Amino acid sequence: MKKKGRGMATIMFGFGYGEGFPDHSIASVEIEKNGKILIRTAAADVGQGVLTVITQIAAEVLKVDPDRFYIIQGDTHLTKNSGSTSATRQTYFTGNAVKEAAEELLAKIYHYASLEFRSNHPQLGVEDGKVFRHDDPENYLTYWQLAEIVEKKGERLYGEASFFPRTYAPDPETGQSERMYVAYTFLTQVAEVEVDTDTGLVEVLKVDSALDLGKAINPQNVEGQLEGGTVQGMGMALMEEQVIREGITLNPDLTGYLVPTALDSPRINSCLVENEDADGPFGAKGVGEPTTIAAAPAIANAIYDAIGVRFYELPITPEKIIRALKEKEKNAL
Amino acid sequence: MKESAARSGNRQGTSGGDFKDCFRPEDYFTASKYFAPESLKEAVEILEGYGGDLKVLAGGTDLLVEYYERLYEVKGWLDLKNIPGLKEIKVFEDRIEIGPLVTHTELEKSENIKEYYPVLNRAAADVGSPQIRNRGTIGGNIITASPAGDLLAPLMAYDAEFKLVSTRGERIVPVGQFFTGPKRTIISSNEILSRIIIPLPGERTYGSWCKVGKRKALIISSITLALVVKFNKERVIKDIRACLGAVAPTPVEIKEVRKRARGKRIEDLNFSELGELVAERISPIDDIRGTAEYRRDVAREIMINALEEIAEKAAE
Repeated sequence: MKKKGRGMATIMFGFGYGEGFPDHSIASVEIEKNGKILIRTAAADVGQGVLTVITQIAAEVLKVDPDRFYIIQGDTHLTKNSGSTSATRQTYFTGNAVKEAAEELLAKIYHYASLEFRSNHPQLGVEDGKVFRHDDPENYLTYWQLAEIVEKKGERLYGEASFFPRTYAPDPETGQSERMYVAYTFLTQVAEVEVDTDTGLVEVLKVDSALDLGKAINPQNVEGQLEGGTVQGMGMALMEEQVIREGITLNPDLTGYLVPTALDSPRINSCLVENEDADGPFGAKGVGEPTTIAAAPAIANAIYDAIGVRFYELPITPEKIIRALKEKEKNAL
Repeated sequence: MKESAARSGNRQGTSGGDFKDCFRPEDYFTASKYFAPESLKEAVEILEGYGGDLKVLAGGTDLLVEYYERLYEVKGWLDLKNIPGLKEIKVFEDRIEIGPLVTHTELEKSENIKEYYPVLNRAAADVGSPQIRNRGTIGGNIITASPAGDLLAPLMAYDAEFKLVSTRGERIVPVGQFFTGPKRTIISSNEILSRIIIPLPGERTYGSWCKVGKRKALIISSITLALVVKFNKERVIKDIRACLGAVAPTPVEIKEVRKRARGKRIEDLNFSELGELVAERISPIDDIRGTAEYRRDVAREIMINALEEIAEKAAE
């Protein structure tokens, strides 16, 4: 028989290294001669899209087409420390470092342009890679023209910044801290499952998600992370299990150690809650790891709703479900 | 050309240094022979000459995985791909003959297989993934003889026979005698499986297929059930085959089901009792795909479900 159930879980996740660790990121942005703008960062893009995100951020600050940018990434000779791609921290840390570097550069653009236009910066505007006086917008300098002028003075149109927020170690007695992590991401998910009581197989039909992420700098990217994280969490809930007998792992490969396939994946609806409540770039918070956490408890709750059995150990395999149903039947007699 | 192939195949990397006394990649590669004959006659002659040293290759989805990173252990390959006729599905008056190189995808898409052997058709659709179904073959599935091979229980339920050829002639072996243990069959090292012969099931034959696996694709079955029931005009059961995979060293038919159900109407059968019978008669083991206890529990339930499904279909 197939039984349906619905379960909910809410999680919070403090991201960044936190706990007083000297966590920071350094980035620079420079107007190059070739009509390009160069960002330097050591942030590793492992597929999560941090390079897309920082390009958007710099383009937003400098009011210029994202296509103008190129990035030197993760070169120990040419970049400075950005910290690891871990702890859900790159959008927040490197995003902020790039934003501040771009702002530093923008200030220089205003400064040198004000000398050229013999004006004060409030009377100047920037748009589409051009700087101009509001009273005469047709008479503009492109950033690259300005860079050439500045170069003749022996200067560069270059901004560099370090984002280095403070956190504090927890009190060893109470576990409390003034600021344990830089910010917290919240996620609530409702999972709908169907449990086959004959085989113990669980199908996750649908997952509705509300992710409080401050600001979605790239909404499609965020949805991708949310969907991928949810399916990963679903794998932890139902499949991922290292089987060890007498010290030997019996499933040391992906034939035996299972993660969900596309066919196992549920429909996932995403609602992105944008409160801009954090000190991240444009109010953004990290979303990587938080997206993997809520699925398992939500699915466990949904299974309870479907068959009335609580599980306290993951993964909830078909065997465990069948055994639990037998127990339940026995106890009911 | 030869040299560069050898070099690219050598994963140790041999740039620089003096290798006079070392292992030479060339030796390594000439050691493995490859044949792709253009007739069955030629193929069995090659096989006769090399005996057990050759691996017979169809789709390679099992063999190349089994020998992953130790292909050098295989002394030679006999690739069947150039032999005409091995990829055909032929319909005769009383039977269908399937060539061993027919892929799972072809079984899945073939109108004849769909019409006459829906259980085999659905089992083929449940194999691995689209990529594996495009390469993997019915012959390979049979010869690999995994207890969990998805096509094996359906072939058993439809009373298939296998034609084996060697230089000494050919023999036809019923599916029930073919499998002798996990990954073991009665085929000799000088024989090739050349045909899968399945009698046409006739009217009023109904089938049910169930594959239980821990996920929906790319999964080795925890348990499979192929149930095929033939009725006469009076809606009495003429024959019934309950065959299971992954619950014993070989795919098995639970013959007691036949004894109990033959000559009765399906509505007069006690489904729970037959489910229990199946659960008792299988001999599953504990492994990463399921415990023995789980397999017995599930075998019982899917047997009951399969009987209900067929009762419903037969009533239409």
